[in-house]
Amino acid sequence: MQNIIQRELMINATAERIYNAIALAEQVVKWFPDTVSGDYRQGAQALFSFGEKHRSSVYIEAANPYHYFAYRWVPGGTNFTGDVRTVPNTLVEFHITELEPGRSKVSLTETGFAGLPADIAASSLQQNSNGWDFMLGRLQQYFSAEAK
Amino acid sequence: MSQAAVVQLFKALGDPVRLQIVQRLSNGVPLCMGELSKDLGISRQGARKQIQALVTANVVQLHPVGREVKVQLDATALTQGRDFIAALEAQWDQRLQALKQFTEQ
Repeated sequence: MQNIIQRELMINATAERIYNAIALAEQVVKWFPDTVSGDYRQGAQALFSFGEKHRSSVYIEAANPYHYFAYRWVPGGTNFTGDVRTVPNTLVEFHITELEPGRSKVSLTETGFAGLPADIAASSLQQNSNGWDFMLGRLQQYFSAEAK
Repeated sequence: MSQAAVVQLFKALGDPVRLQIVQRLSNGVPLCMGELSKDLGISRQGARKQIQALVTANVVQLHPVGREVKVQLDATALTQGRDFIAALEAQWDQRLQALKQFTEQ
């Protein structure tokens, strides 16, 4: 069972453009939550809203222009609106690397599904990465056998 | 799957010994407690405790067979955990495509 979500994509834009789209409240609403209220800056907590019903607190862990932005939240549409640092949460990280002018790589990771601080989860994941991979492969076989 | 159940599942699988136990069961064949506890680098009692933790997280089930106890993988929680992650991955794929579209305008 994986304990991390990892995604990577290429975007034809500058690192500054992409960073601002993630880190500025007035831009992030163009592609991610419908609204942002509260304090959307490093060390503070803001509230994302999705549609009429869903609300989610986000705690901004880091905001380093124009290459890194990270926040904590409670994933899975749980509507958690309290202080995310007081409950098991995941760390969402955006790494932006401008490979050539106007062309950037964006890496997204979400870690901490074990309810552990992300750095501990990441290091134990690394130590056990063979184990995780092995097990995931075996389980896929198991699940597909079950489905038959 | 509730947030609490997800956390419980990933916590259960986040330990090297418990992960090894689950690996040994991952082909779906039940093993008896004694067999499963061998060569884990911990005492039998310690192994029993780890197996119990997996029972609590609904990762394995115990079945008494005669004088033995067989341990079997319970796919339910694992399937739900996998589906939970898959759903989040699909959401991120959508969001990142939206980010791409917005920033490439």
